[in-house]
Formats: sequence, structure tokens, C-alpha cells
Amino acid sequence: MTTVKNRYVRYSISVIILGLVTYLALGYGTRSFEAYCPFGGAESLWGLFTTGNFSCTLGPLNLSLMLTLIGLVVISKKSFCGWACPIGFLGELSGKMGGATWKKRPKVPSHINTWIKLLRYVVLAVALFFTYRTGELILRGYDPFFLIFSGFGHGSIGIISEIVLIMTAIGALIIPMFFCRYLCPLGAVFDPFSKLGIIKITRNDSTCTACGNCGDSCPHDIPVQTLRAVRHRDCTNCLECVDACPEKNTLQLRAGL
Amino acid sequence: MRVPGFVIPILIVAALVGGYFLRLAFTQPTTSVTHVDTTGRMSVFIVEGLKCRGTASFFSSLYDSIPGIYGIETYATEHKAVFNYNPEMIGRDSIQAIMEAMIPFDDSTSAQVFKCISVE
Repeated sequence: MTTVKNRYVRYSISVIILGLVTYLALGYGTRSFEAYCPFGGAESLWGLFTTGNFSCTLGPLNLSLMLTLIGLVVISKKSFCGWACPIGFLGELSGKMGGATWKKRPKVPSHINTWIKLLRYVVLAVALFFTYRTGELILRGYDPFFLIFSGFGHGSIGIISEIVLIMTAIGALIIPMFFCRYLCPLGAVFDPFSKLGIIKITRNDSTCTACGNCGDSCPHDIPVQTLRAVRHRDCTNCLECVDACPEKNTLQLRAGL
Repeated sequence: MRVPGFVIPILIVAALVGGYFLRLAFTQPTTSVTHVDTTGRMSVFIVEGLKCRGTASFFSSLYDSIPGIYGIETYATEHKAVFNYNPEMIGRDSIQAIMEAMIPFDDSTSAQVFKCISVE
């Protein structure tokens, strides 16, 4: 019963956010959907400090959302990513669709996974460097959020953008949260703050049967069954592990340092 | 301390709503041009096509040599242009006509780039 409740609440919020972004992307509302992208806050910082202006289409809302979401990450880890981000939601749905077609989903070995995850820092560095240097949002042509909701609008780079989006979609079918794990620059911005996350999942050793359901259900492949407290930077507090645990009150959401 | 699951969505909504209102602390014009340092009548135009720093700069440049325009501030993310002007020298209709005029391009084509949606 809790499984249904947590996931339904999470999916309901995601659907509402997805609907709002689609509504804005269709040209309704007073602002572009890009004005609500928190990563724009990071992209605008350099221009703001050096020239006092926001770059390109960015504005104060990008910056303010990034700041409040960093605050949210400090309090409850990357819960925005798991509960509200439209790309995270689409990535999760794609992963579930892909999972239904695999008899046994291929799993990336954890040591390789750790290395590939560094890619998102490369994406972050490249995006910020070129945005700061040119004043243009150079990531647009490679950004699934922009490409999907703008319908390959101004800033997309033809066949390259199409290939990037197709590869990302295929990746999401094979590896759950493919974009979030390996490519999302906003996730890279959140990483150091996520480690601090005050509200996190904790595991009670005395009642845990080490069945591994929690780790298997985690969309980010975090080995929850081996941890006393999930401090992992990728945890989104999505509560899938809590719902998957057959032992009542073994996995709990708790606040503490 | 145990935290009930429903706290997470509440925190997310609070962060998003908080971010929406915190923007007011950072709001500043995309471009700000002052031709004459005096205060005339202020009118706010909501303009389709005013979407980034480039279009905002181009938009402002349309009024560089128009008599009666004291200054223009643009807010690209809100598609908004605030005009400071002398109503005895130029009217709102004339301001609107200038922005909605066909713009000639280098490739010998022309197009209407800006369209006024509303005036306050």
C-alpha cells in the first residue's frame, strides 16, 4: 500500500511539473520554459559578476531557483531530481519501459559506473566555460530538456542534436536515469551539497534481512542494503527503497547530520 | 528524528515557490538605454519576439534616433519593454508602429520581428 502511495505522490508531482513546462513550451504564460531551468542560474553567474547582466535568455528566475534548490539539496538531498525534474521523470519512465523488455537488465559494474559518472563534471565544465566565454547558451544543442520542449528550436544544431537526443533516449532504455547519472550538469552542481543532505534514508541493521530488494529497486543502483545511512550523492530520496523493503520500519527517512 | 515521507514534496513545493518569489531580489533589465536623463510618461509594452539579450539590444536600437524617447528598459525573460517618453512628441501608437515595422535583412528579405501583445 505504501508503495502505491509514495510513488503515486511522486509521479503526480512530476506530471504536474511536466504539464506546466509543456504549457510554457507551447507559448502560453508570460515566460519561456527556459526561464525556469535552474541550471541557467549556474550559466548566468559569470556574466552576472563580470558585466552585471544575465546571458542570452537567462534571467533572475533561473538564479533564484538554483539557489533555493541548492538549499533544498542541503536539506533533503537531490529530491528535486527524483520528484520534480521533467527530464528525471522521463528518464525514469524510459528506464521502466526498457526494464520491461529486458529479461535481466545489463548492469554497469560499479567501478566503471563511478568513472563514467565523472562525465557530468566534464559536461558542467564545458557548458560553463563556453557559456562564460561566448555569452551564448552553447549547451542548448545537446540539452534534452531544451530539445524536447522547444521542438528542436533556435540553438539546436540539426542532425547532431537529433543524434544526441536519440542516443540519450536509447541510453535511458538500457540504463535507468542514464542522463541524470552520466550527463546532467545540474546534478554535478548539486553533488557537493547532496553529500550534506540532512534528511536521508537510514537502515536499521537489527531488523534488516539483507534481502537486497532496496538496492535492486534503487533507480541509481545505490547499494542501500550495505549502508547504515544513505549519504550517497546520487540519492534523490525517491523512497523506492523504503517501499520495496519487506521489513516494516527497517528503512526510514530520518533527519540528522 | 524520523521524518514522514510527505515532508519531501512539501519541501520541494516550498523551494520552487520560494525560488519564484526570490527572483524579485535579482530582477534587473536585460538592457537599459537612457537617451535623455529625465522622467516622462512610462508605458510597459509586452512584446512577442523580445526573448534574449540579442533581440533586446536590437529592439532598443530601433529607438536610438527617435525624438521623444527618453529611455528604454527591456526584460527579455518577461518579454517586457518599459518606455520612458515624452507623450507630446511621440504617442504609444507610434512607439508600437516602430517596433512592429518590417525589418530588412542582409539577404534582401524582410520580416516582422516584434509584435506588441499588450500595453500598460
